[in-house]
Amino acid sequence: MPNEEPRIGVYVCHCGLNIAATVNVDEVVQYAGSLPNVVVARSHRYTCSEAGQEMIRQDIRQLGLNRVVVASCSPRMHEATFQNVLASAGLNPYFFQMANIREHVSWVVKDPVQATEKAKRLVRAAVSRVRYHEPLSPRREDVTKAALVVGAGIAGIQAALTIAEAGYPVYLVEKQPSIGGHMAQLDKTFPTLDCST
Amino acid sequence: MMDAGRHPNITLLTYSEVTEVSGYVGHFQVKVRQRPRYVNTDLCTGCGACAEACVFKRGVPNEYDAGLSRRRAAYIPNNGQAVPLKAVIDDQACLFLTRGKCTKACVEACPTNAIDFTQKEQIIELNVGTILVATGFEMFDPRRLPAYSYGKSPDIIDGLQFERLSSATGPTQGQILTSKGEKPRRVAIIHCVGSRDEHANRYCSRICCMYALKHAHLVRDKTGAEVFEFYMDIRAFGKDYEEFYQRVQEEGVYFVRGRGAEVVVHNDGRIQVKAENTTLGIPVEIDVDMVILETAIEPARDSDKVAAMFGVGRSASGFFQEAHPKLRPFHTNTNGVFLAGTCQAPKDVPDTVAHAAAAASEALALLSRGEVIISPTTAVVDEELCSGCKTCIALCPYSAITFDETARVARVNEALCKGCGTCVAACPAEAIRARHFADEQILAELQALLVSA
Repeated sequence: MPNEEPRIGVYVCHCGLNIAATVNVDEVVQYAGSLPNVVVARSHRYTCSEAGQEMIRQDIRQLGLNRVVVASCSPRMHEATFQNVLASAGLNPYFFQMANIREHVSWVVKDPVQATEKAKRLVRAAVSRVRYHEPLSPRREDVTKAALVVGAGIAGIQAALTIAEAGYPVYLVEKQPSIGGHMAQLDKTFPTLDCST
Repeated sequence: MMDAGRHPNITLLTYSEVTEVSGYVGHFQVKVRQRPRYVNTDLCTGCGACAEACVFKRGVPNEYDAGLSRRRAAYIPNNGQAVPLKAVIDDQACLFLTRGKCTKACVEACPTNAIDFTQKEQIIELNVGTILVATGFEMFDPRRLPAYSYGKSPDIIDGLQFERLSSATGPTQGQILTSKGEKPRRVAIIHCVGSRDEHANRYCSRICCMYALKHAHLVRDKTGAEVFEFYMDIRAFGKDYEEFYQRVQEEGVYFVRGRGAEVVVHNDGRIQVKAENTTLGIPVEIDVDMVILETAIEPARDSDKVAAMFGVGRSASGFFQEAHPKLRPFHTNTNGVFLAGTCQAPKDVPDTVAHAAAAASEALALLSRGEVIISPTTAVVDEELCSGCKTCIALCPYSAITFDETARVARVNEALCKGCGTCVAACPAEAIRARHFADEQILAELQALLVSA
């Protein structure tokens, strides 16, 4: 357990009707508010919107939150979005946990009672986990300023030219003895019937 | 093509394949194997004298003409249109290289003494910050659907062979002729060969409808033959495509709605196409003297190898998996490796160009930013606890763990580690910890999830 007492904010997203049509969002919010160390629990129609983000930012500043849970979509969709919100409010972005109540709940559970129950459990799990989060910092490294393009058909040639035009060296590797790929075999191309090479 | 061949910032490595990739975003080390051409490219002018002189007159099927012509062992690729314009000696066909017996007429014929039979394959090592995979597609082999009788008559050809017939650089200098050397009078064009077919590929290849319409136009334009298109639906989705479809309809092409069911080659060589006309609800049988099978686009046959080498996943159809179908359509799950073109999914030319340019812009963003941010959610070894057993090193799928021989402990390279946790679970001394997936974090989550309130 970290030394500092956790002050957790929980935000339950409607995602328009994506979540709210199946999950009773108000009930989840009320439940989240009853969990230990949860200082504030709110809902928003689109938590990822600018207004939704600002709501979280304000709470971090005004209520002194040091942990944030968002119950919404997959972290593949918006984890980075909300981590940036934490960072912009001066909080380490790893003091954040997402509960996926869209892909894992509202899109797959048909019964509203069961869906709401599952959403509550996922929120409880996220709240329980986030207390143990630690601050982490990414490392930065330099980049070798050259690109490899594998395959010299239409796509490879286009990509190589775009990068080369920007001034970076490109290695264009092609298995065949000539570049051009299938394109070089074509007579004319639809719909304009212009030549392909 | 010419622009790419001449650009001062582009180094062309043709006749070459990537054999090994290591490193991570911003710092990839790549090994490329370049096959010997047996031609000194600094001296070769691409004049083609070696090809003229090559004594292997019978030759081998010319891949550029999709097997419709033959080429010799010494040749200029792409029927003389190669970029770079340099000769190659095919070591699978050359009489000297395969049997050690040849008069080596090519050496005599070369005006610049460019032929060099002592060339060996070379391994070239490259350091790059980003990789774009643009390995393309292969055409479906219609032999896999025997009902279409591909291979049973020289006048049953696939779409790519038709392209070569119609091309000015092809075996007939662009004349559309049957195997008897005559203009065809009736041509059948069969859509969806290998696409939208549970016996082959379930997906739509996206380009076949439009190239089939183009073929119909070319046949009408060049030969005046009657053209019958056997189709299920016409998918003319792109800009100006519907208009092109209407134009081809106005050119007098007969559209028969129904998948071409069977192509029969009779004993006298006569070719008959059987189908159901689903608009009229009647079976149709049409005698033709040329059939064009409009074949599907498929993932390249070595996709498994390529996917493993670059750390790229594959989707159910076999094409490479993008990180997100809408938001990250050219990213992969390996940072710094991007997908461009049809290796990701079937695409027509405009979509391929757009996809590739967009992938290049992602790669450029990485190069011009000049630094990468390495995620801190990696494994970390507690060197006090590590017993030096090396169990983790063999298990790591990303080769991210090395052994410090002096300190006798394992160390994790944070730039390579993806935080998968394999080593954490395997370590017998419990010396490895996964940052952000620590035991107390996961156990707290699970307990709250599973214990009833």
